[in-house]
Amino acid sequence: MVGPITLILLVLLIGAVITLLTRTREQARVVALISSGIGLLIAIKMYLTYVGGAGMQFTESVSWIPSLGIGYNVGVDGIGLPMVILATLISFLCVIYAWGEGNRPNQFFGLVLLMDMALVGVFASLDFFLFYIFWELTLIPMFFLIGIWGGPRKHYAAIKFLIYTHVASVAMMLAIFAMYYFNGAATGTYTFDMVYLLDAYSKGVVSISPLWINLILGGMLFGFMVKMPAVPFHTWLPDAHVEAPTVGSILLAAVLLKMGGYGLFRVIIPLMANPDASTVFVLVIAIFGVVSILFSTFVALAQKDLKKLVAYSSIGHMGYISLGVAGAVAFGASEVPRILAETGAMYQMFSHGIITAVLFGSVGVIQHATGTRIIDDLGGLTKHMPKLAFIMLAGFLASLGLPGMSGFVAEFAILTGSFSQIPIFVLLAMFGIVFVAAYHLWAIQRALFGPYNEHLGDIHDIAIYELIPLAILVALIIVLGTPNPICSHLFAEVMQPTATHILSMLPQGGLL
Amino acid sequence: MSYGLLIPELIIAASALIVLLAVFMKDGGKKFAGYVSIVALLISLILVLKDGLVTPTPYFNDTIVIDPLSQIFNMIFLLVSLLVVIGGIRYNEDKPHAEIFYSLLLFATLGMMVVAISNDLIPLFVGFELASLATYPMAAFERTKRGIEASMKYFVIGALSSSLLLFGMSYIYGVAGTTNIPQIADALSLNLMKPASLLGLLFIVSGFGFKMALVPFHMWAVDVYDGAPHLVTALLSSASKKMAFVAAFKILVVGLIALRFDWYIGLALLAVLTMTLGNVVAAVQRSVKRMLAYSSVAHAGYIAIAFVVISKSLAEAEIALAGGILHIFSHALMNAGAFIVAAIIAAAVISKVKPGEEDNLDNYAGLGKIAPVTALMMAILMLSLGGVPPMFGFWSKAVIFLSAIKADLLWLAIIGVLNSALSLYYYARVVMYMYYRDPVIERVNEPLMYVLPVAIATMGVILLGLYPPTYEWAFEAARTLLMMGGIL
Repeated sequence: MVGPITLILLVLLIGAVITLLTRTREQARVVALISSGIGLLIAIKMYLTYVGGAGMQFTESVSWIPSLGIGYNVGVDGIGLPMVILATLISFLCVIYAWGEGNRPNQFFGLVLLMDMALVGVFASLDFFLFYIFWELTLIPMFFLIGIWGGPRKHYAAIKFLIYTHVASVAMMLAIFAMYYFNGAATGTYTFDMVYLLDAYSKGVVSISPLWINLILGGMLFGFMVKMPAVPFHTWLPDAHVEAPTVGSILLAAVLLKMGGYGLFRVIIPLMANPDASTVFVLVIAIFGVVSILFSTFVALAQKDLKKLVAYSSIGHMGYISLGVAGAVAFGASEVPRILAETGAMYQMFSHGIITAVLFGSVGVIQHATGTRIIDDLGGLTKHMPKLAFIMLAGFLASLGLPGMSGFVAEFAILTGSFSQIPIFVLLAMFGIVFVAAYHLWAIQRALFGPYNEHLGDIHDIAIYELIPLAILVALIIVLGTPNPICSHLFAEVMQPTATHILSMLPQGGLL
Repeated sequence: MSYGLLIPELIIAASALIVLLAVFMKDGGKKFAGYVSIVALLISLILVLKDGLVTPTPYFNDTIVIDPLSQIFNMIFLLVSLLVVIGGIRYNEDKPHAEIFYSLLLFATLGMMVVAISNDLIPLFVGFELASLATYPMAAFERTKRGIEASMKYFVIGALSSSLLLFGMSYIYGVAGTTNIPQIADALSLNLMKPASLLGLLFIVSGFGFKMALVPFHMWAVDVYDGAPHLVTALLSSASKKMAFVAAFKILVVGLIALRFDWYIGLALLAVLTMTLGNVVAAVQRSVKRMLAYSSVAHAGYIAIAFVVISKSLAEAEIALAGGILHIFSHALMNAGAFIVAAIIAAAVISKVKPGEEDNLDNYAGLGKIAPVTALMMAILMLSLGGVPPMFGFWSKAVIFLSAIKADLLWLAIIGVLNSALSLYYYARVVMYMYYRDPVIERVNEPLMYVLPVAIATMGVILLGLYPPTYEWAFEAARTLLMMGGIL
């Protein structure tokens, strides 16, 4: 009997293969819709049957290559499961959003499904080797999505994306191998089992020199920081976003970047618990977070291209996740704010995923309708595109952290929770918030309001297949931002126990 | 004594002679010779697979041993030859003397198999020479100027490397007093006689260096791979070069293991130079064939990491050897497939471009539209060569790097992965040309006999890495070899 995670992976893989083989657009999109829909349904069913608690659930474990200690181990906990839902949800909505795709539709939808599968695999793997395979597998669909359906400089953006993130991944691979080796040399069991290895390293039972544990930590952190991306490793992202098709951008920002954040929770925090690990890494992560927030904010202020602006806003929001992680692991007298910061960072992972999907989705609609994304060439779109304007306004307000929307919950929890541990960094980040609001509102004002730019001609409003997914996401943003059972269940019963469990690996009171 | 395990070799030897009979047939017997070769290779391959991981069985006074190592290499050689022969059916349609092509190919395969099973310097050298001599004329099979030049270069360098090898072997014989490889190991562990055996080692490493095309002994290989017909290049780089590796495994790892500290630095240097130079030069090539040739040099560098690990730490010898064997296997498949794809493209554009331009990367533009099957398979092969999971090329490379880390050779592993990341650039470039650009040619024929071997290779590349018994084979082969050398 296969478990739900394997089932999702199989459904998506088979769906991807069938979609690639279909002849017409109709067949391709229907198959893609069905298989991504089944994936989403299974993920939701998992969520409904998820028992609040800390440990891994829905686990499956099959020995795969015993001579190397590689196993097919999957399972999810309070951070993996929301990410699996996010991946399947966004992919499903992307299929609807791209309903009118006419250029090589079978390949397009097949790649979206393949991406979906790889992402679910990343978030559900409990074996480092499997994790790395899925991690790298996400590159291939994105490489093609950017390179085939992208904008004018798509070739450059595609190869830059591929090589840049691949180099980061191989650093991570070396770190994984080193973890594998030192554990094997110390205990005699050579295994890539993630839970086992992280447990061993967090308790410090593996004898390893401080140099090596810090090298491992550094290699892992590099891999995750490039993916997140944190300034200064972010340069691939604006290129990739600007050139990627809308669906590619949505997948990239909403789910792919989350792989880096996920790695912080899953791998970095347990490794930092190792007694020999340097506590400087707390500062490093905090600095990465704050620099990403501030840098991206000021760069976004200067952007002329709406999509680039949204891309930089992603970098800033991912910076909050780093900040929350740093706040959670830093030394603090009380457990409560640290757990709050960690849970907030997890909440931000989900929240930013759905918010940024709305932003990129609405920018894509504008580009489709008007043929431009340059803010100065737009103006007064509310007149001709009222539905889009509503969606987009909701997205931008959520992105700048308006209370009542999910982004506020996450960022408020991160800032409040981190303040007592790392006050200076939090104050710096809050300084940036003013400008975050500024560039969002300024962009909205220039693009949506004011007199209508008559050069744009007679433009049509958002298509129904584009409206549905974005409306669903906006509704979800509001549901997750207001006090109600769904929101508090996700925050307090799914994410918080896992956050508490991850933090319990650290020494009492945290590091530094 | 049962000779059952030698039947694959005997079948190949017999069929190599039988195909020559085709010359007496009215139509030249092209089809006959081709299909006889296919059947012979297929039966041998099935027999090898059926016997599987046999317990080591010596023959002829211990000069020949069939063991898991020889079985896995025989499988690789037979598989590559099979791919080339299937492609050869299409290739030889308009060539005279097809039977000679097949006969030489089968003799070359036989030579490689003899190398894989030999346990003694004499049959090893004989097999080596048989394989080499059979492939020299194959490089000039088209009798073009480039082909003949390639063949001459290959012949001269081949003769030089064979004589270096033989010279080195004679020193080793002088020191050890025997040509039996395990006995050499025993003799050298008792009586090292350093200067003489070091001289022998030097000559042997140089001789193998040429055959394995390690930098700085690689110059000939690129010209030969470039000048020879695509199918012959596939054979040379995927099988003939791998023969040098199995011979080196036997002589260096088993016979000269006592000298391992002396080959450590030299081989580390060779491995690093080979990877780096191969990749850097491959990245600037415009001809896909030359790019693949240089990439093949780079991959030899990855495989050579296995030797470095073994010389550094005997404890990790098993995983290092297994990684080397796995990468030999995966590279044989990927490379053979890629060269046959290059053959398809070159055949399609030969009449439309300037002579010498038929392998240009520009011809690959838009293949995703005009030849979707070939393009998809080529993309998979390219990504696998670049080490992208979940393809076999990733797995085998990962095992090699893993062994380097286990042996505390982090610097070597870092150089290796950086090289691997760099290589992805030029492999991905081919994929980009195929899918991102508009086609320059109207249509490409995808003849079944060319597509079939590529499809087999592609399926292998996708599935073998995920299939656990592959690793059991490789590890078992590695253990056998180490047991032969008395290490395990």
